[in-house]
Amino acid sequence: MAAITPQHSFEGDLFAQPLRSNTGNLLQVTEPDYKAFIPPNSLRRMSRLLKMGLTAAQQCLRDSSLGVPGAIITGTGKGSLQDTERFLKDIRQYGEKALNPTPFIQSTYNAVNGMIAVAQQCTTYNNTFVHRGFSFEHALLDSILQLQEGAPHTLTGALDEMSEEHFYIKSRIGYWKKEPVDNVQLYNTLSPGTIAGEGAVFFSLSATPTAHTYAHITGLKLLYKPAVAGISAGLSAFLQEQQLAVEDISLVITGRNGDSNFEHFYTELDKVLGTVPQLPFKHLCGEYETSGAFAVWLAAHIMKAQQLPQQWFPMQADFPAAGFQRILIYNHFFGEQHTFVLLER
Amino acid sequence: MAERVLITGMGMITAIGETVTANLHSLTHQHSGLGFTRFIDTIYKEVLPVAEVKYSNEELARMAGVPGQPGYTRTSLLGLIAIQEALQQAGIRDMQQEPTGFINASTVGGMCDTEKVYFDIIDPEKEGDFLRYIDTLDCADCTQRIADRTGINGFVTTISTACSSSANALMYGARLIKQGLARRVICGGTEALTSFTINGFNSLKNIDKQACRPFDHNRNGLNLGEGAAYLVLESESLVKQHGSRVLAELSGYCNSNEAFHPTAPSPEGDGAYTAMKEALAMSGRSIDQVQYVNVHGTATWPNDLSEGRALERLFGSEVPPFSSTKPFTGHALAAAGAIEAIYSVLAIQHRLIFPNLNFAEKMEELSIVPETRLLEEQAVTTVISNSFGFGGNNASLVISKYEG
Repeated sequence: MAAITPQHSFEGDLFAQPLRSNTGNLLQVTEPDYKAFIPPNSLRRMSRLLKMGLTAAQQCLRDSSLGVPGAIITGTGKGSLQDTERFLKDIRQYGEKALNPTPFIQSTYNAVNGMIAVAQQCTTYNNTFVHRGFSFEHALLDSILQLQEGAPHTLTGALDEMSEEHFYIKSRIGYWKKEPVDNVQLYNTLSPGTIAGEGAVFFSLSATPTAHTYAHITGLKLLYKPAVAGISAGLSAFLQEQQLAVEDISLVITGRNGDSNFEHFYTELDKVLGTVPQLPFKHLCGEYETSGAFAVWLAAHIMKAQQLPQQWFPMQADFPAAGFQRILIYNHFFGEQHTFVLLER
Repeated sequence: MAERVLITGMGMITAIGETVTANLHSLTHQHSGLGFTRFIDTIYKEVLPVAEVKYSNEELARMAGVPGQPGYTRTSLLGLIAIQEALQQAGIRDMQQEPTGFINASTVGGMCDTEKVYFDIIDPEKEGDFLRYIDTLDCADCTQRIADRTGINGFVTTISTACSSSANALMYGARLIKQGLARRVICGGTEALTSFTINGFNSLKNIDKQACRPFDHNRNGLNLGEGAAYLVLESESLVKQHGSRVLAELSGYCNSNEAFHPTAPSPEGDGAYTAMKEALAMSGRSIDQVQYVNVHGTATWPNDLSEGRALERLFGSEVPPFSSTKPFTGHALAAAGAIEAIYSVLAIQHRLIFPNLNFAEKMEELSIVPETRLLEEQAVTTVISNSFGFGGNNASLVISKYEG
């Protein structure tokens, strides 16, 4: 795995990294030194999301030591926003004449996939999902299909950035909180809107465990625009498919984000979960289309280490004891795409 | 034994017709859809030919059954028109009877409408109705508009792999069926012309000022097009359960990456060769059983050379008749794969091989030439359809006559 996120997630011991706090309602990634991953000639031409994506992908492959993947599959809600914005402006500024094609090429949603394929000389299956809060989860489902079809291992990732311009655009239709919020206080300030985020997170997924395996992804369920009651019904059906009872879940990681417009989905989930311990994660990475990948990355670390990065949860009064057998992730993107992911030890 | 994946419905709208039947009529009468844009604000309005759907957004909204309803981009409207025809042809009246997935494809989503208001959207001084287009900029908006309007109740997602997007949507839908995760999935893509893409391809010097000339020695680039196309894919057991009419079988497919260059194919056509070869192997057909190849054939200098070499490598001296239908429809990017998959089904159903328009002179690097005539009464039972895109993304589909 590898993750470039607003936290210090890329290098070092996760459990020793301090929490990064922010009060601007936009959590931006902590950028690593890209020079260690990308040659200077390429680096100069590449926009931010491409650097983030390519670097996280390469670090992930180093981490897994599995070699060239059998498939490269990503999800991105927005692709390279900076390139899209730049090409729109170039068209206007230069009157449609003598345009530099680079931002157009890099704005293509599968641009990072293509670059990883070239860097790894990976000529097999390559796909990109671009469907808001399902982008990463369909990349995950496609990867599971690939493994079942015989791919030895896949490189599966999620990447999104938030530009200042796009942050402003989305603020015009109520995506973000109007008042500045300290991310640590996110869950204490229930009001319309949330805080924005971004990240690039990659996983090596293999059909058989290795000595280095973090966790086993055993279940995935996607619900499109369910009614509120559909959340509890969906979870019950999911657990039944997995032949599990609620008590079998050691920890639930939820996408709670302090947005009063959609909090009711989480309170509905609370009804089913009862006393199963929960942890939120959006104060760490902000809200974005592929934030589900951050949650899987966090859960996989917890599972492998059998401990929590407690320093990242100062709002939490107490923590569940270790012995994490199964971690359930529930997330949704502005009430439309709802996802459950189950990880086992 | 994995399920066979069958095609039970098709719907489309392109510059050469607003239904599958109308498209077939234009193909057989050799009516190209190329002309100049009426709806895009660009300095290339009378310079660069495009294959534009001949209806305004207001007319499309009426055809789609959503007249006067705000928020539908041209991308959504084209898609809605195409999917409604596909559902009708497949005889699907009540979606509730069978969970139905929707795998859509798009390269720039609602850019066609957002680019017109983008500078108002980012201007704090401006207020107005245009703000409703903010959420249509991404690729998921059109998918959800179409899904919600038609009552889709299974998997809903969108794929974007440039010019191979809808071929990959078909592949993903077929795999969901084969693995038993769905029994019915509607797959395809929708694409509206934009100033963004016209300027993008023009900045790459990829657009011909004349009608495109696939596989011609003097080819000089592509023409952009727009449209939408969807195919209803069902498992064989669902088809048998309902007694549905089968149009053809999606018998093979392969997605392969060139790992060569962001926007150019390898000169030897490695990706195209692998995609065709593997797709054919999956279909269980041999090279001598392929009667027609609907090539990607964009008429850019590198594509046709690379794809032509791949054809020669795969078929040797026995290359079957092949043609690019892009001189009819233009290159409709994310929709192209599904448009051409439908043309492949039509070739089988109507025993036709479609002509490659505008071809005059053989490429000196190749020993093969495209089919330039409409061939009728052909025993077409297996067709390869190619879609290749930026990022080295190559996709080939094998469509076969269904013999149950």
